[in-house]
Amino acid sequence: MRLVLSFALAQLRVTLRERETLFWFVLFPVVLFVLLVAIFGSLGREGTIHFEVGFLNRDQAAGEAGLGRRIEAILEDLAQPGADGKEPLLSLHRPAGTGDLDAFQAREEQAVRYGTHALLVVVPEGFSARVRDALSSRSTTDAVRIQVFRRAGSASSGFALSILRQVIAGVDQGVLASGGRFRAEDAVVVDTVFLGSARGAEVRYVDFLLPGLVLMAFFTAGLFGVPGALLFAREQRILRRYWVTPFSVSHFLAGFSVTHAVVCALQFTLLIVVGRFALGAEVSFASPEAALFLVLSCATFLAFGFFVASLTKTGAAGMALANAINLPMTFLSGLYYQLGPLPGPLRILLSVNPLSYLADGLRRVIGLEGATSPLWLCVLVPILWMAFSLLVAGRRLSWDVGR
Amino acid sequence: MSALRGRAFLGLVRAEARAFWRDRVSLFFTIVLPFLFIVVFGLVMGGGEGAVAVGYAGGAVAEGATLERALRETEGIVPTPFGDAASLKRAVEGKRVGFGVLWEGDRLGLLYEASRFQENFAFQELARGIVARFDLARQGASPAVALDEIPLGNPAAARSFNEMVPGILAFSLLTAGLFAVSGHLTSMKARRTLDRLLTTPMSPLGLLLAVAVVRLAVALSASLVVLVLSQVLFRFEPTLDLAKFLALVLAATLGMMGLGTGIALLVRRPQSAANVANIVSILMMFLSGVTIPVELLPPFLRAISRGLPLTYLAQGMRHATGIEEMSAGRFWAIVLGSLLVGLVTFPLLARYVVRPERR
Amino acid sequence: MDENGLLLRVTDLRKSYGDVRAVDGVSFAVPRGTVFTLLGPNGAGKTTTLEILEGLREPDSGTIEVFGRSLRRVDRATKERMGVLLQEGSFEPYLKVKEVVALFASFFARPLPVKEVLERMELTEKQNALVRTLSGGQKQRLGIAVALVSDPELLFLDEPTTGLDPQARRNIWDVVRDLEGRGKTIILTTHYMEEAEVLSDDVAIMNHGGIIAQGAPRDLAARLGRETVIEFALAGARPEDLRELEALGTGLSTHGEVVFLKTAAFTATMERLLDWSKERRVALSGLVVRQPNLEDVFLSLTGRRLRE
Repeated sequence: MRLVLSFALAQLRVTLRERETLFWFVLFPVVLFVLLVAIFGSLGREGTIHFEVGFLNRDQAAGEAGLGRRIEAILEDLAQPGADGKEPLLSLHRPAGTGDLDAFQAREEQAVRYGTHALLVVVPEGFSARVRDALSSRSTTDAVRIQVFRRAGSASSGFALSILRQVIAGVDQGVLASGGRFRAEDAVVVDTVFLGSARGAEVRYVDFLLPGLVLMAFFTAGLFGVPGALLFAREQRILRRYWVTPFSVSHFLAGFSVTHAVVCALQFTLLIVVGRFALGAEVSFASPEAALFLVLSCATFLAFGFFVASLTKTGAAGMALANAINLPMTFLSGLYYQLGPLPGPLRILLSVNPLSYLADGLRRVIGLEGATSPLWLCVLVPILWMAFSLLVAGRRLSWDVGR
Repeated sequence: MSALRGRAFLGLVRAEARAFWRDRVSLFFTIVLPFLFIVVFGLVMGGGEGAVAVGYAGGAVAEGATLERALRETEGIVPTPFGDAASLKRAVEGKRVGFGVLWEGDRLGLLYEASRFQENFAFQELARGIVARFDLARQGASPAVALDEIPLGNPAAARSFNEMVPGILAFSLLTAGLFAVSGHLTSMKARRTLDRLLTTPMSPLGLLLAVAVVRLAVALSASLVVLVLSQVLFRFEPTLDLAKFLALVLAATLGMMGLGTGIALLVRRPQSAANVANIVSILMMFLSGVTIPVELLPPFLRAISRGLPLTYLAQGMRHATGIEEMSAGRFWAIVLGSLLVGLVTFPLLARYVVRPERR
Repeated sequence: MDENGLLLRVTDLRKSYGDVRAVDGVSFAVPRGTVFTLLGPNGAGKTTTLEILEGLREPDSGTIEVFGRSLRRVDRATKERMGVLLQEGSFEPYLKVKEVVALFASFFARPLPVKEVLERMELTEKQNALVRTLSGGQKQRLGIAVALVSDPELLFLDEPTTGLDPQARRNIWDVVRDLEGRGKTIILTTHYMEEAEVLSDDVAIMNHGGIIAQGAPRDLAARLGRETVIEFALAGARPEDLRELEALGTGLSTHGEVVFLKTAAFTATMERLLDWSKERRVALSGLVVRQPNLEDVFLSLTGRRLRE
């Protein structure tokens, strides 16, 4: 016991003194956390997106009947900064004075084609008149169309377009209402429900991400930390200094595990603190089930680390292997976001990835529902991985260099 | 260069090539990693293309047929009927549909899966369109005003995968150039290999040229491998403008070597340079429009992306592979700018290489 | 320790790696309180032999009797009473010197106080320095400190002074002599002849995995007879020259350009040698006159020098 703890303490000192380890295992998850929340946390929300939109009103009608002008006014409104100085949704580009409208349109189309502008909206000539005619006619006619030029394949152009659709739908309702064809007060009542969260409300990304990042941190510590330390110590012949004393391999393994657990605890604490106090996370891990999953994760990745270490002979090869494994496993796992439908081979990978199950299980026990696998499976798969890793590592791992 | 120098130079190039090939870590980062990125990112985050499956229930209830009609008339969705509320909810939770519309005769429920962060905001826009259309149809009205969508540019870009691959290509050029300096050369410096090489008649510039030549070859082959594999495996459809492509590869690799030089000069310990390069490239990957469009980033991150070289390289690569249109002036400005960065920093790099190591 | 006062007895130890017989039937015995040295060039099998005794490797055959017990492989109880300095080994670069010693001290039931060990190896000033900042000599001293911390009865020192400057080397010799004075038993390997001569009670010369000669240093040297060795360098010597030179003394061996001429009648041989060189107009450079030593023993037994 004394040997194990004394070694664990020494190993902990070594881990915390290496600046690189400190950065990748402790700081980097926090940095990634902040970055991902900043990028995805407010996706699509007001004040966070911005589009350049060109607008050309060829409709001659003015005053009350000027629909083109009405649409323009709405867009102008959207181009104003928000109440608290938030960035407006659009910047509107319009022809100067009464210059050459065709030239303006050509320029704007070019801008859309090149991606510098998201959309070009053109209200055609005689637009208001045609709408008035359509309203007064008794038969149903096709809607009068406004031209919208967008950039093919551009996600942002597409999003700007969907916003514009809302604007036009609103205008449309207004027109129909004023023409007596639509009663706004009879509009259908809409309830919005978010399934899979404890209170039916929208799950906040920061709450969704926090458990994912905790697992990522544990995983990194296991995947990179274990082979790194172990292979290096063996290569540099540090290990053999231990083996000529009463300190044995089992002492080493026990001590190493203690150190790993402490590192995991450190990562966890840091992420929770940053999440709670800097990013406003609300999830709580204070339950025995959550503790179970955290401990299970820590142990699974420790075993996995030994497994990876047993696959290569040198430290450099071990690190290359760890790098190769890291990306597919973390990105095909639902740690950072929920995965959409995947093609066949990738789905198989997903279905054996212990990270997915642990993420699933952990999220479920802290109150973020929406898991796709039963809870017992979320425990079983990691345990199987642990057993497999230990079996292989136990057979293959050598504790001293060759001759 | 005299014949002797020429032979020595070739020898150095060969040695550099061999060293790169044997350096498994470097090999991984410049060739395997970009391809892995494509597979992982392209198939995972590139979701949302094509029509969205929208589940609905309540077709049998009064005005349910109206709802069905409104759904059918909405563009970009595939209406998918369900027998009852319970099965619809299960479908939404199991992500078999994008979102659900539940009509209960007097209220319309919009059901979303709480954790679909990247997609829900787009789904909500679609839902608003459906509700508007339904509202109109219930009152027997039809839209008076509508939009006529006219796509401009290359229709091939409509596949988000086609948008993504050039970004990944640009990223692999970034890493090829960046790690050549802040990785390879810095580790040579740390291991004193540089000092040994410099005691030979070969000048520092000659050594750097050898490194650059090898890295260019690497960047080119890596890009071609990625291009071919993307075409074969994922039906990526580029229209390659060879001259522009080659120019971009050359300029980008040299320019990114320049970036690597900057890092090497700023970071004191050579071993740390590779780590800094790693972090820089990961940050750039997220913030340069390679993984997520720049317009969708919050303002301060968008501002950062305007200062990142990868943003421009990715745009240039999209143009060189015929995915997106760009003015010729802008493209060549990107190429020239990158080339200039590389050329200007070359002498700085040469000085770094001979600078004595301070313990 | 058995009735004969032996702490360690090795019998017919063998270890092969494929075709290579690293240890080929090695036998020796070490009495308590003595210094036993394995002497030989690199690749002779000294380190492998030691690694087997330290418990790092398992022998193919042979027996080891240590502390009165017969073992196939050295076990934990034995390791409690042993201290080991490995030839090739490092410590964690990011640990401090005192932390390393404290760590190893914790492995044993009754270690010496860390401070005392640090003082003994003159590392007190460096106790808070990280291992990665130490010089070669300091790292070696740390290794010995770690070997000593358990206050072992049996100490293995594998090449303790390799790579050290002469002053540091003499310091280590002082430590070894001091330890012997305290009744420790020490097994040493080295390829430095002087070290073997100065420190050892018993020397075993190894080559190609086997012991080719064994005895007290003086006795071994004396095997060459009570003769003097005249050593000089001779460029471009022809076979006839060497034959003539051999006739001047009692025996001749060469190594490259260096000639070792043995003689029982020093003055006469010296005169004739100088005449010879004057007649032949040949220069004899680096002329040294000395008593035979272990290097000469080794050379005469194997035709190789220790330092190859």
